[in-house]
Amino acid sequence: MRPLFVTWEYPPYKAGGIAAHCEDLASTLADQGHEPVILTYGEEQETEYRDGVEIHRVPSTDSANNTLSWAMHLGHQIEKKAVQLAKNNNFDLVHAHDWMAVPGATGIKKTLGLPMVFTVHSTQKGRDGINGEYQETIHNLEWYGTYEANEVITVGREFSEEVKHNYNVPEGKVNYIPNGVDLEKFDNHTNQLNYNDYALDWEQIVLFVGRMYPQKGPGHLIEAMPKILDQKPEAKFVMCGSGATEHYKGIAKEVAGEKVHFPGYVSDQELLSLMKSAEMTVAPSVYEPFGIVPLEAAACQTATVGSYTGGMKDTIIHEYTGLHTYPADPNSIQNQITRALEDPGWTDWMGEKARERVEDNFRWEQISAWTTGIYSEALE
Amino acid sequence: MRIIYLVKNFSDGDDLSEYVKSLAEYAASQGHDPCVVSFDDGSNYTVSDDVEVERFQLHFDGDSLYTWAMMMNNEMKGKVVEKIEDEDIDIIHANDWITAPGAVNLSEHLEKPLCLTIHLTEDQRGFQSENSDLISDLEWEGTFEADKVFANNNDVKNSLLFDLNMSDKEVCVADPLHRGWQDKILKTYHKILRKEEVEVKA
Repeated sequence: MRPLFVTWEYPPYKAGGIAAHCEDLASTLADQGHEPVILTYGEEQETEYRDGVEIHRVPSTDSANNTLSWAMHLGHQIEKKAVQLAKNNNFDLVHAHDWMAVPGATGIKKTLGLPMVFTVHSTQKGRDGINGEYQETIHNLEWYGTYEANEVITVGREFSEEVKHNYNVPEGKVNYIPNGVDLEKFDNHTNQLNYNDYALDWEQIVLFVGRMYPQKGPGHLIEAMPKILDQKPEAKFVMCGSGATEHYKGIAKEVAGEKVHFPGYVSDQELLSLMKSAEMTVAPSVYEPFGIVPLEAAACQTATVGSYTGGMKDTIIHEYTGLHTYPADPNSIQNQITRALEDPGWTDWMGEKARERVEDNFRWEQISAWTTGIYSEALE
Repeated sequence: MRIIYLVKNFSDGDDLSEYVKSLAEYAASQGHDPCVVSFDDGSNYTVSDDVEVERFQLHFDGDSLYTWAMMMNNEMKGKVVEKIEDEDIDIIHANDWITAPGAVNLSEHLEKPLCLTIHLTEDQRGFQSENSDLISDLEWEGTFEADKVFANNNDVKNSLLFDLNMSDKEVCVADPLHRGWQDKILKTYHKILRKEEVEVKA
């Protein structure tokens, strides 16, 4: 099959999880004999071939006064590129990723007459809410994407229900396919962490990885820190991620002092080393359609303490591959992290089970096969 | 000659609609086959039976005319592509920036010549919208990609020359207040098609 991916971000451009998702899915599709073509943003027009995937980048504009207008302009440029490519290529369908891809993908659908598949990674309502015309328009675009798509994919089981409810999508049109992890990437990586850059020898790293925004819940973890440290002084919190870092760093330093560390920019390789070395990862998200951190930690044989919400209801099995907490509940976070720290043997065992579960359920080979099944349905 | 006219909406009394109506009716009276494609805003229109009108819906509310227009263009393209399943077309004629992005992509995809009438430029409107830069970019792109650009009057032409850097020979003034403007446009269509024929033969 020859799907045309439309995504605003594709590595090396990465802002959230969509870039990695698209790269892993496209390269696995290519490994399986398909011919995915990526249309995405770039600072200039360029074409690249990587891991069997053809990637076309087109620039957007510096004149847009907000992301919505920027996405509209990018959509037009992406469609122009698709029209050019279609002169020498036959595409089977267009596959859009999140609302920013909807203008371009629906344009391609209408002009080239292709079926459309739309993967919803998160919703405006869940991210920031709908509190004005601007956010309402993004919500409308998400609705429009689900309306125009022949098939809709969501990355979380519970999230499927949210998508059906938010956009009145018919039951049979929404398909749950989880995210996956590239286990080879984790297995080929050598842990070269200088542990003392982050913690003392006797300390145990409790690792937060994610954007520092309320949705990811760093504030709830910070609130839990003093009580955890009262009971388990060996805990050392390492907070990795972009966003409102300075804001959260200020609060965390007040309550936990030297027992919390914000390392700033951390390379992908260093992050894998940290995940492999940490006692556990913590994902205190308030809203998380899928949440890739528990799976990446699992690939490193590290258990996750994560909120019982969205995708983490599926990616963590309580007391088997990690521990669930109540969302937005510092006491619950404190209880579960303390439990994990009290019994390191058990925590390591949960890490091993998490890895086994990822091997059995969250491989890209499997996810790619499910996705092509959805493509076939869209083509019918 | 089968001509597709693209216009934001088509309703009695609206300047752009009256322009397209007059041009399409004249083309029909000369034995051509015009079809107007526009967004269906629910308003009434009256036009000769010889002019086909296709209206389409859009289930999307934008936070600005710009975002709405970009999605409207997608539906417009869908309607035109649906039309050409049954019959071929010869010319696409768009009106103003608001139908330019769709027209440009349709022209490229269907390999049909594009004409664009600019009724007023964003510079003439005074750049008053938060998306004025983007709108002006679309005007530029439309005029750059079009086989011929018609200006409604000399003021519009001047703006096209000075604000959008067009050359004098690329712009044709077809002023609806002057007799013979429709004929001027039809003759230009013929000229474009003859040129295309020569290029194909060569």
